Amino acid sequence: MKQKAFIILALALLLALILFMVKDLFYNSPEKKTNPYAYDLRTLKKGDTTQTAYIETRQVHTRLPEIHGLATGINDWIYLAGDNGVEIYDQAGILKNRFDITGNAGCVAVDKHGNIWLGMEDHIEIRNASGKQIKTWKSFGEESFISSIAVTDSFAFIADAGRKVVYRCDLSGNMINRIGEKDPVRKIPGFIIPSPYFDLAIAPDRSLWVVNPGRYELEKYSYDGSFLTSWGEPGIGIGRFCGCCNPSHFTLLRDGSFITSEKGIERIKIYSAEGKFSAVVAFPSSFEEGTRGLDLATDSRERILALDPVKKQVRIFIRKKDQKSN
Amino acid sequence: MVFAVQRFPKPEFETGYLQPGTLLPSPRAEILAAMDVAILVLALSVISWIVLKKRSRKGVFWMSLFSLIYFGFYREGCVCSIGSIQNITLALFDHTFILPLTVIAFFIIPLIFTLFFGRTFCAGVCPFGALQDLVAFRPQKLGSRLNAVLGMVPYIYLGLAILYAATGTDFIICRYDPFVGIFRFNASFGMFVFAGILLISGIFIARPYCRFLCPYGVLLNWVSRFSRRHITITPAECIQCRLCEDSCPYDAIDIPVTTKDPENRKIRVKKLIWISLLIPFLTFAGGWTGSRLHITLAGVNSKVRLAEEILTPAAGQGQPESLGLTAYKSSGKAAEEVYSEASEILDRFYNGGWILGGFIGLVFGWVIAERMLSKWHTDYIPNKGACYSCARCVDFCPVKTDLSEIKHEKT
Repeated sequence: MKQKAFIILALALLLALILFMVKDLFYNSPEKKTNPYAYDLRTLKKGDTTQTAYIETRQVHTRLPEIHGLATGINDWIYLAGDNGVEIYDQAGILKNRFDITGNAGCVAVDKHGNIWLGMEDHIEIRNASGKQIKTWKSFGEESFISSIAVTDSFAFIADAGRKVVYRCDLSGNMINRIGEKDPVRKIPGFIIPSPYFDLAIAPDRSLWVVNPGRYELEKYSYDGSFLTSWGEPGIGIGRFCGCCNPSHFTLLRDGSFITSEKGIERIKIYSAEGKFSAVVAFPSSFEEGTRGLDLATDSRERILALDPVKKQVRIFIRKKDQKSN
Repeated sequence: MVFAVQRFPKPEFETGYLQPGTLLPSPRAEILAAMDVAILVLALSVISWIVLKKRSRKGVFWMSLFSLIYFGFYREGCVCSIGSIQNITLALFDHTFILPLTVIAFFIIPLIFTLFFGRTFCAGVCPFGALQDLVAFRPQKLGSRLNAVLGMVPYIYLGLAILYAATGTDFIICRYDPFVGIFRFNASFGMFVFAGILLISGIFIARPYCRFLCPYGVLLNWVSRFSRRHITITPAECIQCRLCEDSCPYDAIDIPVTTKDPENRKIRVKKLIWISLLIPFLTFAGGWTGSRLHITLAGVNSKVRLAEEILTPAAGQGQPESLGLTAYKSSGKAAEEVYSEASEILDRFYNGGWILGGFIGLVFGWVIAERMLSKWHTDYIPNKGACYSCARCVDFCPVKTDLSEIKHEKT
C-alpha cells in the first residue's frame, strides 16, 4: 500500500512536470514584463539632493537662435556667443549689447581689455565690446574646430577639437607651440575626443588645464607642452565621469577648485584643486533630457554660470551658504 | 615583446545596472575541446570494459561519479550528447549554422559505442544519468503498461526538439534541461524546482528523466537493439533461479517466454493483419492531426508570435506590449516583412506537423505491436533497448565464471 502511494506520488510529480513543459511551450503568452536589462539611466539621474551645495537663483534668457559659448569679463559681465551673433549682459542679466557676426561662434573668451575672442570653427575673430572687428586670424586648417579659448596677458590658448590639439599663440595669432599631441617619449597620452567638446582653462596659479574627455581626465600641461599631472576616473558614480567622453566643460574657482559639466547624465559638480569630488551644483533633474554643451563660467562673486543651450538660458547658481548675503 | 594597451578607459556599465547572466559556459580553447572528446572516448572505453568484462556494479558507480564531476560540474553540462541532437538538426536544415566538431563527436561517439556495447554511455558517462542514479534509493516497479505509456513521451519530445531545431525556433532540450542549472550553480527558481521534482520522484521511479523524457535515449534505445555485445545478467547459462527478476530498477529485464507458440496460428495471423493495418492508419492519423496543430506548434516561434502580436496588439486591450514587440517597433522593420517571414515559417510547420504527427503515430503503433506479439526466449535477459547497462542485475546472479568473482562471493 505504502509502495503504491510512493509510486502515485512520484508519477503525479512527473506528470506535473510534463504538463508544466506543455503549458510553458504552447500556452505561454510572450513576456510582457519590463525588460530587466534595459540600460535605464533614469535611476542614475536621480541624485542625493543633500549633496547639492548650490542653488539656482537666476536665469538670463537669450534671443540668439543657438548658443554655444559663455564667458564672463570685466565687471562680471556675461558674454554669449552663438549662431550669427553675440550678446553682452551685465551681472544682473540686463542686455547691454548685441551684435551680429558672420558665421557661428563655437566658443568665446574675454581678455583683460574687454575684447571678445570668438572661436569661428577654424579660426579666431577678435572684436571689441561694441562688436567692431579688431582682428581675424588665419585658419588653423580645414579639419579644425575651435572649441575653447583662454587668454592670458601674453598668450592665447586655443583648443582644437577637430585636430585634437591645443595651440599656444601670441596675442597676434602667431603659433608658438602645440600642446597635447601624443608623444610616448614625453609621456603625453594624447587627447581622445569622440564628440566636439574639448575645453581648456587657465587656473588662478596660471597653469594650463585641458580636459581629455575620452580618458575622463583633466590634464595639466606646462606652457611648453610638458605633461604635468592629471586627475579623473571613469564611472557612473557621482564622483566620476561616464559615457563616451566627459566632462564636456569645466572652469575653475579662485581657490583652484574645478567645476565640471557632463552630458549624457547631465550634471554639474565641484572637485577640489586636487581633483577630489566635493559637491554637486546641479543634478540631471535640473536639465532637459539630452542637454549637452553646458559651458561654464564663474565671476568675481564665485557665482557659477552655466549655459543651457536647450532652454536658451544662462543659469546662475550660488552657494547655498551665500544665499542670505545675496 | 609587444603588449596590448587600452587607448582609453572602458566605459563603466556596472553601477546600478543588472548585467544579464550568460546562458552558456565560456567557449573552451580548442585543445581543451579536443581533450573533452578524448576523455569521452576514454570514459566510454573504460565503462564498456567495466560493464562487459569486469561486470562490476561498483566500477560503474565510480565511473559515473567521475562523469558527474567532469562532464557535469566541470564541463557545466555543455555540450552534452542530449542537446547535440538540436545542433545536428539545425546544421542539416540551416547551412549557415556552423557545427563544431566537438558537437558532432559528442553526438556520434556514444551512438557508436552503443552499437557495439549497448547503452554503456547511460551507465556511467552521462552526467544526467549519474545524478539520478545517486538518488534512486527506493526504486519501485511501474509495470509494463505504465512503462509503455510513459515511454511514449521521449519520442514526442524528440520529435518536437527536431521540429523546433529544424525550423530555427528554439532548442527546447536546452530550455527544459533540468540539471544544467545545478551543474552551473545558476539555476533559476523554476528550473531548480523542476530538477528538485525530478530528483524527488527519482527516489521511487529510478532515472525518470532517462526513461520518460530523454530524447537522446530514444536514439540509444534504437541503436542498442542492434548492439553487437550487450551486458548479460548471467555470464553463463541461466539457471532460472529468478533472483534477478526484481533487481532492475528500470523494469528492463525481459522475463522468459517459454511457451513457444502461446496462440494458435489463426489468432496470430489475425493479429498481424490488424497490426499491418493499424500502423499505417496511426501514422496517417498522427500526421493529419499534426498538420492540423501546425498553428499551435508554430506559436512557439518568436517570428510567428511577433506577427500575431502585430495583427492583434495586446497594448490596445490595455495590456503592456511584449519585449519582442518593443524591439520590433524600434527596428523600423515593415510589418509586411514580418508577416511574410511568419507565413513561410507556418508552411514549414505544416509540413513538419505532418512528419511529427506521423512519427508519433508510427511509434504508437509500433509500441502496440510490440505488446501484442511476444518473442520466445528462455532466459532472463536485459531488454537491449531499455537496459542502461548499470550492472545491478549482475550482482544478483549466482552463476559465476570468473574465479575472482567466486572468491569475492565467498568472502
